[in-house]
Amino acid sequence: MSAERLAAGGRIDRENEIWFDWDGDILTGYAGDTLASALMANNQKVVGRSFKYHRPRGIMSAGVEESGALVTIGEGARRDPNVRATSQELFKGLIASGQNSWPSVRFDMGGVSNLFGRFFSAGFYYKTFMGLPPFEWGQGTGIWMLYEKLIRRSAGMGRVSRESDPDSYEHAHGFCDVLVVGSGPAGLSAALSAAEAGLDVVLVEQDFELGGDLLNQPLDASETKRQELIAALAAAGVRVMTRTTAFGLYDYGVAGLLERVTDHLAEPSADLPRQRFWVMRAQQTILATGALERHLAFGHNDRPGVMSVSGARAYLNRYGVLPGKRMVLATNNDSAYDAAIELAGAGASVRLLEAREAAPSELAGRAKDAGVDVRAGMAPMKAHGAKGLHSLEIAKQSGSAWSAAGKEACDLLAVSGGWSPVVHLHSHRGARPVWEPETACFVPGPIDEPIQVVGSASGHWNMADCEASGRAAGTAAAAALGKSANQHSVPALAGWDNPIKPLYEIRVDGQKLKSFVDLQNDVTSSDVRLAHQEGYVSVEHLKRYTTLGMSTDQGKMGNIIGLALMAEALGKDIPEVGTTTFRPPYTPVSLGALTGRNTGSHFRALRRTPMHDWNLAQGGTMTMAGLWHRPWYFARKGETIKEAYEREAETVRTAVGLCDVTSLGKIAVQGPDATEFLNRVYTNPFAKLAIGKARYGIMLRDDGIVMDDGTTWRLTETDYFMTTTTAHAAKVMVWLEELLQTRWQDLKVHVTSVSDQWAGCAVAGPKSRAVLEAVVQDPDVVSNEAFPFMGVIETTLKNGAPCRIARISFSGELAYEVYTPSGFAEDMMDQLWKAARLMDGCLYGLEALGALRIEKGHVTGVELDGRTTIDDAGLGKMASAKKVYIGDALRKRPDLMREDRPRLVGIFPKDRSEKFKAGSLLFPEGQVEGFGDGWITAVTHSPALGHWIGVGYITGGHQPWEGQTIVAADPVRAGNVKVEVVSPHMYDPSGERMHG
Amino acid sequence: MAEANLENRSALAGHYVPGRVGSGAGTGVTLAEGRDLILSQVAFWPDSIAKVGGKLAKDLGVQALPGPGRSFSGNQGSLLRIDPLKVWIFGAGAPAFEADQAVTLDLSHSRTHVRIAGDEAATLLNRYLPLDLREASFPSGAVASTAFHHCGVTLWRTDGAFELFLPRNFAVSLWDLLLEGAAQFGCEVL
Repeated sequence: MSAERLAAGGRIDRENEIWFDWDGDILTGYAGDTLASALMANNQKVVGRSFKYHRPRGIMSAGVEESGALVTIGEGARRDPNVRATSQELFKGLIASGQNSWPSVRFDMGGVSNLFGRFFSAGFYYKTFMGLPPFEWGQGTGIWMLYEKLIRRSAGMGRVSRESDPDSYEHAHGFCDVLVVGSGPAGLSAALSAAEAGLDVVLVEQDFELGGDLLNQPLDASETKRQELIAALAAAGVRVMTRTTAFGLYDYGVAGLLERVTDHLAEPSADLPRQRFWVMRAQQTILATGALERHLAFGHNDRPGVMSVSGARAYLNRYGVLPGKRMVLATNNDSAYDAAIELAGAGASVRLLEAREAAPSELAGRAKDAGVDVRAGMAPMKAHGAKGLHSLEIAKQSGSAWSAAGKEACDLLAVSGGWSPVVHLHSHRGARPVWEPETACFVPGPIDEPIQVVGSASGHWNMADCEASGRAAGTAAAAALGKSANQHSVPALAGWDNPIKPLYEIRVDGQKLKSFVDLQNDVTSSDVRLAHQEGYVSVEHLKRYTTLGMSTDQGKMGNIIGLALMAEALGKDIPEVGTTTFRPPYTPVSLGALTGRNTGSHFRALRRTPMHDWNLAQGGTMTMAGLWHRPWYFARKGETIKEAYEREAETVRTAVGLCDVTSLGKIAVQGPDATEFLNRVYTNPFAKLAIGKARYGIMLRDDGIVMDDGTTWRLTETDYFMTTTTAHAAKVMVWLEELLQTRWQDLKVHVTSVSDQWAGCAVAGPKSRAVLEAVVQDPDVVSNEAFPFMGVIETTLKNGAPCRIARISFSGELAYEVYTPSGFAEDMMDQLWKAARLMDGCLYGLEALGALRIEKGHVTGVELDGRTTIDDAGLGKMASAKKVYIGDALRKRPDLMREDRPRLVGIFPKDRSEKFKAGSLLFPEGQVEGFGDGWITAVTHSPALGHWIGVGYITGGHQPWEGQTIVAADPVRAGNVKVEVVSPHMYDPSGERMHG
Repeated sequence: MAEANLENRSALAGHYVPGRVGSGAGTGVTLAEGRDLILSQVAFWPDSIAKVGGKLAKDLGVQALPGPGRSFSGNQGSLLRIDPLKVWIFGAGAPAFEADQAVTLDLSHSRTHVRIAGDEAATLLNRYLPLDLREASFPSGAVASTAFHHCGVTLWRTDGAFELFLPRNFAVSLWDLLLEGAAQFGCEVL
């Protein structure tokens, strides 16, 4: 092939020359070029290497169906592999390189694999490396894992960057009455008629220009019409999205769109995302996705210089590039004639091999007038020229077979084996395409959704019918949405003016031909036949065995040929063989676009308490608790975390500590039936909880397993303030709402999350009351008498802020939880801290909180892990026998009531100087095997006891194990430690301290 | 709850920086935090809708209790029907009711209020919110609970602006996301 840029013609801007880098060479193109057209204009013949055999490949098309010119764009962190050069818009400074090759696509050491290609048939790797000696002698699948890595390294489709992606991406939600996909004649007509009927229309086009096939026609033939349609669209208010691919259709009119926002810009604004991932919701969808020209299977049909006829036409008419000087075109249908005439008119020597026995006279006449040499009953047999086509062996039809008919020098072979409507999106909805024998293609089948397919995507092969089908669909959509519009009838499928000759492969007796069916996946016609011989007769099995139609190609190029060959092998018709399922995405979607802005610090939303900044200002080190950032510990200068939390825990036991507990869930439970509601939700009685009192409560799931625990405060006759664990706040809220909306609609109760309204601080320690006295306006309200254990008060802080306080304890000390409206939280902390500091108090974080609660044997989410019954947690006394509550019935299942279930226990190391780890399994000494009799959920070094302690579960609870030596086994980390099992209430078991 | 001498400290304190965001010249979006939010909730029962609605409408000077997903604004505040059996009162506290009629809550500290205006306001919001914000579907006065980066938020359209109510604890995260998305339109933080 010796391609060249023409001095005139095409849609490129010759005034705007731009440079780009191809494999280290600086080349030039023009604005309006794709990378492929610019490479072709620079006569670059080999631009890729094939997936499996590393065969040199050239540019094979001018669209998204490209299987040859798969290249890598960019470098460093912005390296983007497997980009179709035919879809990549050229811009100044674009850096592109060949892939799957070393040192270059022009000379690739990996090309040696092609010499052994005859051995690399379908299933080669599995047959050779899995289960067969000598490769796997006694090795099992382990050795296959090694082979697989090596095989993957030699095969493949480019390498992604290992660096972080420096670009941003974003998601977007769109809504419209009608979504039109594709802007060819049919799509433009559909969008225009729907919009003129008053509908809100979005038109998406994967190209950077509107027009579809109009763009590939000579300017003088199509441009006026295209411009008029575009102007009419603008006037009708159609929202146009170019550089946007509808990659998938989903339920209820949802389309997935990928908008390439800056991929075509040399210096994009840092404010813009590189790509935008749209979820578009449409009431009506019109697919004007066009059709793809098929190739034919013949010998070496992948040589650089072999391309589609429509591709050659596009390069000529759109990009002003004559793709060859001495061309052969091969066709089995009418569509190649216009292209042949135009290419000849541009100065190429053109010979047209017409596979039909006789060339249609009118077309042949026009072609001959244009200087095209038309040869009927002929087809390509074998291409020659590994690094650029130089000749072609031709076959002629002899009865029902083909025979060799000489050799022709040529530098370009353009093939049209028929057209396949792009039914991918339609197929995503589960609609099976239907074989249309008259035109030898699958057309969209019936679908029970508001989706219409128009233009060549529905099997119309002339422009008037395409436009008419678009108009009909637009007005039908309008009618469906209640708009009046002149209805247009859908034209019947008229087929070609002259019947197509179904032709998929040219085989000649005595000729060994390497004929590719799926060029992207290096699947040959021999592979398809081999698959049949080996019993893979279903197309789905064929696909998986040979990789036909897989990967990013998704059957665009090879599917029909593969099906036809399989049908032939089976002695069936193509419809009997069926087709595989097309799956999203139609063309690749980057992981960055799927991620959008949900990366880095936005991978998950961060929850900050109203005291977040205050905690940081006091030297707090934060840790994650679910989505929350909570203080972990407050280290003084030079302190380690261990020193810090031990000091904090000790200070709580001896003086007073303050801890931000805002992350606890808080729910307002209100209404005349609130008491009854709570009494049904909690296992323990709430019917007689007095106003001004709090109660610890456990709630179960329906199946009797513990869901959550917390305290609920009665503020008035009809108003409760429920707290939940941090981890289960949302779950409890949803659960309560579900109960009210589905089971107990008769109860007059409303639940509202007030987690954000109230900021909370635990004030814990012997001096906690003194701290409160210092901060409330009326100290008398917090006296021991006025404010007993489990009491609740609503009062005012000295700064005038309202607060509500409950005397409750998680640490086991005299303690309170103080809540104030969130906007006043820092003021409250200032006051509390001022008072606490004077009493040698401290701020404490989650680590100390954990140590204190483990000492007391209080449970948290790690103990209430969805498997635990109320008895397992040692709280069985809180299960009322006098009322009915959620989970009451199923918690009494025999297996849940067994005495030998794992029960909550405390753990001490036998040797008090030793430590052990959470997650360890518990075994009787000398019997460390299997799953053990229990496990450890949490550990800490106890400042109060002076050694490591833990809580966990063991069969039957602590009493059966008293005096025994138990092994805490942690085989992957710390090893085995001898421990003893004790009561979970390891510190102040009588609870005297919290009654202060 | 409007305690006279106390400041309801903004969740965006330290993160809210007035000025331009984005390198473009135009201003497609303006963002402004509504400070000193006064927001209360009234929740009622199916058999008390008429009575409670009538009182609320009268107190706030609006024509009636708005339908679900709608709002009315009066001279004393706005009523936002955020739920079939719940309204928010924007700009005023809740009147007292007997519990068998309605229950009330002060939510003034629970939300961060961001006003989003400008030609690209809806476009920006749709970068995150899966709501149909076209004028015909979400006209002025519409209100909806929806999701923003998996967080539950409330959106209210007023004349010329969108009022976004963010849960206080998520406010900084969501504000940062808003700014990142707004930069491409040219954004002014007021």
